[in-house]
Amino acid sequence: MAIVRMQKLSAIGLVSGKETLMEQLMKLGVVQLNIQDSKLNNEDWADLVSLDENDAAVAKIEDRMGKAYQALEAIAKYETVKKSLFHTRRKMQRELFQKLAEENQTVESQIGRINEAFEGITELINEANKIEVAKLALLPWKDYNLPLNTKGTKYCDLIRGVIPAAASLPKLQEAMEEKTPCYDLQLVASDAEQQYISLLYLKKEKNEIEDVLRQFGFSPSQGLEFEGEPQQAISAYEQQTEKIKEQIQELEKKIQKEQDGKHNIEVYYDSLAIKKDRALIRHRLLVTNRTFYLEGWTPKVAAEKVAKLLEENNCWFEITDPDKGEETPVLMQNGVFSAPFEAVTKLYALPDSRGIDPTPYFSFFYALFFGMMLSDAAYGLIIAAATFIILKKYPLEGMMGQLMKMFFYCGISTMFWGILFGGYFGDIVTVVAKTFFDADVVVPAVWFNPLDEPMKMLTFSFILGGIHLFLGMGVSGYMSIRDGRPWDALFDVGLWYILLIGLVLWLGGKMAALVGPTGTNIGMWMTIVGAVGILITGGRDKKGLGKLTGGLGSLYGITGYLADVLSYSRLLALGLATGVIASVINTLGSLAGGGIGGAILLTIVFVIGHAYNLSINALGSFVHSSRLQYVEFFGKFYESGGEAFQPFYENTKYVEISREEN
Amino acid sequence: MITEMISTLFNGSYVAMLGAALAALAGIGSAKGVGIAGEAASAVVAEDPKKFGQALILQALPGTQGIYGLLIAFLIMLKIGLLGGNGMLPVTTEQGLYIFAAALPIFIVGIISGIAQGKAAASAIMLIAKRPEEIAKGMVYTAMVETYAVLALLISFLMLNGIQVG
Repeated sequence: MAIVRMQKLSAIGLVSGKETLMEQLMKLGVVQLNIQDSKLNNEDWADLVSLDENDAAVAKIEDRMGKAYQALEAIAKYETVKKSLFHTRRKMQRELFQKLAEENQTVESQIGRINEAFEGITELINEANKIEVAKLALLPWKDYNLPLNTKGTKYCDLIRGVIPAAASLPKLQEAMEEKTPCYDLQLVASDAEQQYISLLYLKKEKNEIEDVLRQFGFSPSQGLEFEGEPQQAISAYEQQTEKIKEQIQELEKKIQKEQDGKHNIEVYYDSLAIKKDRALIRHRLLVTNRTFYLEGWTPKVAAEKVAKLLEENNCWFEITDPDKGEETPVLMQNGVFSAPFEAVTKLYALPDSRGIDPTPYFSFFYALFFGMMLSDAAYGLIIAAATFIILKKYPLEGMMGQLMKMFFYCGISTMFWGILFGGYFGDIVTVVAKTFFDADVVVPAVWFNPLDEPMKMLTFSFILGGIHLFLGMGVSGYMSIRDGRPWDALFDVGLWYILLIGLVLWLGGKMAALVGPTGTNIGMWMTIVGAVGILITGGRDKKGLGKLTGGLGSLYGITGYLADVLSYSRLLALGLATGVIASVINTLGSLAGGGIGGAILLTIVFVIGHAYNLSINALGSFVHSSRLQYVEFFGKFYESGGEAFQPFYENTKYVEISREEN
Repeated sequence: MITEMISTLFNGSYVAMLGAALAALAGIGSAKGVGIAGEAASAVVAEDPKKFGQALILQALPGTQGIYGLLIAFLIMLKIGLLGGNGMLPVTTEQGLYIFAAALPIFIVGIISGIAQGKAAASAIMLIAKRPEEIAKGMVYTAMVETYAVLALLISFLMLNGIQVG
């Protein structure tokens, strides 16, 4: 069974033993504790129990975690050590983890130092930005040769400001002339939006001048209060910026000095995360003065261990099978080959707990289809080797690890099909032999080359598709029988088997002489039996006229099967795309002919071109292989919508605590 | 004069090359589709730069029509001897027109499905903006459109494969 059987667990214990029990349950990591809101809303329960919670403690822990996280981020930002490509957890013995986790004081002071430096950097960056803004405001005035705080003389005012670029300066001068000849207008600079001007006028004529200025949209420049000429001011700002940069660098170095302590902070963070989860789990416990109550799920295989643990902690408990038809959390368990393909199932949606885990049924086909669509031995080798090395080097967990393993199998499959169809970087061997050695070499396909015999390949794709679909229908029939509805299996799957197989025999015999006349006849009768059967039984759940139309509707479903089978033609089309594009690349590379120049061109085109072809077609194969499962295969039987099993366990981010074997 | 022009226009090799050109024009659909998806991707990445990789994958999906077009164009060129270094093969007007017809499915379907797929990819990118864990569903919705480009490619290919030249 690929969905793990779950058992319901409920237990009552003494509050005094609660913490120890929670700690041990967490270490065991196989029990999911349920939220108990419904019980609290139930009057019978609400009078007796209350929710156990401790939000203040959680908030305190979260605060400390936040600081640790900030410090880790700061280190990650300025770290001089090369970053690892993937995030993996370090393995650590429990004793060591606990010992390190106790060294709070040193780690906390370290976190304090790092965060102080990091905040210092943030402040300095803000300051630098402010200076930059001030500098930008000054830049248009850089050719102005008076100190910016000059306000004028005893009789004169000196003002600086801007008028819009659209305003005409000569016209402004004209307007000024009309009022007074005693003024001096200088255009300091102009850009796309504004003209920067400086104006000297007599104090007594201030009002007239201001009138004119207003008409031309003049606005005085703000914030130019600086002793000395603009040029000096700008260079002073630049010096300040330099200084700030140095300070930032110093602080960065300070953070870098602490980077060796990163591992300790990670342990600190993870130990806090465990504490937080342990505090949070109390939300799922109900308590009276002296006792607590918990409810949850545990996999049947682990039930014995859980029972032993509860017994040791003097709890009263009950572990029972779920009621018939009751939904349970979903945990999938599959063999070595199929397990990585759970990722594909999860990307769709988890199966309903009462349904079936499709993974073991499609895993083989997934790899098969992926390989057929990419179908190049060299590409397959690259994928398999790359994923193999990554998996050896990084202990990847979760979805990422599963996908890597899955692509490893897909790479092997690609290699297999590549050899069968004779694709090695497309036709690189032929091209190289022709271009450089003027020889005709063709690496023969072990089976056949789909480019030469596309119809054969198309038929083969359809046959594989047919098998795939029949398997899907078979699973559907199996589910019906398992749920005690054998007639449904016969009517909805069996009759279709008869009809479809009959149709293939009949049409194949008639049109292509695939089978002898006896076979054709059998096929014809099977078709008739199947079709009539479906017509009669298709509407069996309906009433009155619905019985007839239901049957017709079911029979009409045959178009769906036709479309489903045709959909598998993508196996041919995508396989061709890989092969032909690869040979386009090889042809392009060989355009310069033989010799050293030709070799260089070929190498460049080869590397870039095949990298592109591999990535785009691997993506295509991934997507379309998934699609064939999701749409064609899942459509036949799959019931999704289960909730994932979420055990209460040590959910750490950086450190994997080794489990003691017991 | 006019007959000469007409005979040039209906020269087999010329018509076949026209077919190759049309097939390659399926790239219009991809260009447009990838563009539409790219606009959506930039908007999403502006909010969360970490989604770059995911958005890029979705953006690449409408790119295949161009590849299918290229594939058919390349096969046509191979068929009439434009590539391969042995010189062009004699192509009759009839054969040229056959090849031209074979290019039509991927030309037309490629353009339209490329644009449609681009729109689907753009909304899939919007989907990952809110729920990055659901990228597989977005990919499948987008790939649904591509089915028809695949079918067109198949027909173009099978038609072309049935034509004998030289």
